[in-house]
Amino acid sequence: MKTHERAYTQREDFTIDYGHEAEEEIVRLQEEINRHARIESQFPSRWLAIKLLEMDHEIQMHLRELEGGSELLAAAERSIAHLEKIYGDDADVIIADHRYGWINGLVHEAVKRTRPDRLTKSDKVDRVVTHRLLGIPIFLIAMWMVFKLTTDISAPYLDWVDGVISGPITNWIVSVLGVLGLDGSWVESLFVDGIVAGVGGVLVFVPVMMSLYLALAILEDSGYMARAAFVMDRLMHALGLHGKSFLPMLIGFGCTVPALYATRTLENEKDRILTGLLVPFMSCGARLPVYILFSAIFFPENASGVVFGLYLLGILTAIILGIVLNNTLFKNKKQSTFVMELPPYRLPTFRGIWFHMWERTSAFVRKAWTIIMATSIILWILMAIPVNKSGRFAEIDISDSAFAAANKVVSPVLAPLGFDSWEASSALFTGFVAKEVVVSTMVQVYTVEETEEEPGATTFFEDVGEIIISFIGATGNTIKSLPLIFGVNLFEEEGETELTDLMLVVRNDFEESSGGHGALASMAFMVFVLIYTPCMVAVAAEKQELGAKWMWFSIIGQFALAWLMAFVVFQGGILLGLG
Amino acid sequence: MLNQVLQEIKSAQSALKLSDLSHKLGVERSALDGMIQFLVRKGRLRNDDEDLAAVTTICSPPSCGGSCTGMAVCPFVVKIPKTYSIPDQKSD
Repeated sequence: MKTHERAYTQREDFTIDYGHEAEEEIVRLQEEINRHARIESQFPSRWLAIKLLEMDHEIQMHLRELEGGSELLAAAERSIAHLEKIYGDDADVIIADHRYGWINGLVHEAVKRTRPDRLTKSDKVDRVVTHRLLGIPIFLIAMWMVFKLTTDISAPYLDWVDGVISGPITNWIVSVLGVLGLDGSWVESLFVDGIVAGVGGVLVFVPVMMSLYLALAILEDSGYMARAAFVMDRLMHALGLHGKSFLPMLIGFGCTVPALYATRTLENEKDRILTGLLVPFMSCGARLPVYILFSAIFFPENASGVVFGLYLLGILTAIILGIVLNNTLFKNKKQSTFVMELPPYRLPTFRGIWFHMWERTSAFVRKAWTIIMATSIILWILMAIPVNKSGRFAEIDISDSAFAAANKVVSPVLAPLGFDSWEASSALFTGFVAKEVVVSTMVQVYTVEETEEEPGATTFFEDVGEIIISFIGATGNTIKSLPLIFGVNLFEEEGETELTDLMLVVRNDFEESSGGHGALASMAFMVFVLIYTPCMVAVAAEKQELGAKWMWFSIIGQFALAWLMAFVVFQGGILLGLG
Repeated sequence: MLNQVLQEIKSAQSALKLSDLSHKLGVERSALDGMIQFLVRKGRLRNDDEDLAAVTTICSPPSCGGSCTGMAVCPFVVKIPKTYSIPDQKSD
């Protein structure tokens, strides 16, 4: 009880010292307040004087309605002007500054810590994870593990989806069309060679995307992603770029479009445009199917290493180009800093990870059913139009189509890069729509010799049973794949990885067009896909965010750089005898 | 105190963590949060999170309205950390 009484007495006496000048103005205002009995009776005079100096809007409104209020407000204005003249700052900032100073002093006097420098668990982990020297290697290891998970772990499910789409689903569609009397017609060709080949060719990569989004969701929900931004930000700053540039770039690993909008966080126009030009070099998720396909064909033993290398190449390209542009077109001596609020580390929840993974994967699937399906249908129509009058619509070899003829005109430009077939150039051409279309186009344009069995050989229920059994098999193989992340191989040593018919055709085409340097040509192709224009939606976003001039600069620059870098990879590789 | 916070941010060589700033100034983290919010209200610091929230909204398909360019295809928006920067560094 006595303690309470003492506390109450102390509270009565307690005042914060706002500094000599401010205290003088407070006393002056108190005297003014005391001259108006109605106001004095409603508020404690010191409290009201401070509120007036802080320009409290509600108090000002209330006083205007009271007798003598206007005079008091005028007196407050004079006091504020006086204080601002002395301190060169806003009166409310002066008051808040003293208040925070007082609070800090009180905490120091009143709180006794047994261990003064006690760090939280997050602080302790951060000391290692965001360490000046260790931060970058830890970030690279995290990225490497993400791609190891993406490529190795998802492989069994990728094979399973591929088998389901090219087997039972295609057979069911053919059967339904047969029942409708459309077998052998152009409608069957549109469905099988157009829609199923195009959309299915992309949907095959759903397990890959799910694995990528799973890994990124774990990093995000655990709180590591924020640390990655902090670590990379420091590197960017050290290289003379705007530190905050890496935040949009981080988003760019998922999709270039929101990354371009995220450049709005940069206030300076030069920084914003420069970052907008660099963001497309971050390899977005849509490019991943291309890397996975080519790595599986040409680098089956080290697919995750190749994918990781490409992502890294994107970052390095952005950094180098950033330094060049920062010292030429975007000379900006101002280096701005900022404070970052890092969330504490958390154990990710299954629900949170599932939500992120599902949200992003469903967007990928949605894209397959909209943009990619539309592109596949248009592509099928273009491939059905004969280039000369002797052929008939949808009854020609696709190499005699108008689409093939147009691409044959363009393809010589790509000859020095090792892939000058019309099929490869058409995949790059349609890839301008969206990067997933590169793969779907390849599935459509590369003619695979039909060696399949009679579709009617199995019943619907047998197909369903086979789908379930193969899914269980894929799950078992996925579990066996998990130790691969740490370099432990539980699979029995097998010979050369078995390639699908499409993969064999692509490999033969690249080997042929490159004069026997297929691996180098494929690497050049992947580098080209990494560097050239991400997609038409990204281009539209560039126009909206950076303006038409910089959009064209970006498109032309990216194409030129893609050609140059692919040229260096292919020709340099031959010179060095690498493949 | 408030000027010290601003001064530390301005003079830093690279991005600062709020926890580091709190240790450096010897200020309780909760008190520092209050100071930051006050400085944001006063326009001395810029809350970049508001711009990022705008990005998330733009990229969300139901909010596309008609002004956004094919936002339905944005499959991925990472929640990036909250940052505060000095707004008066706007230049040229």
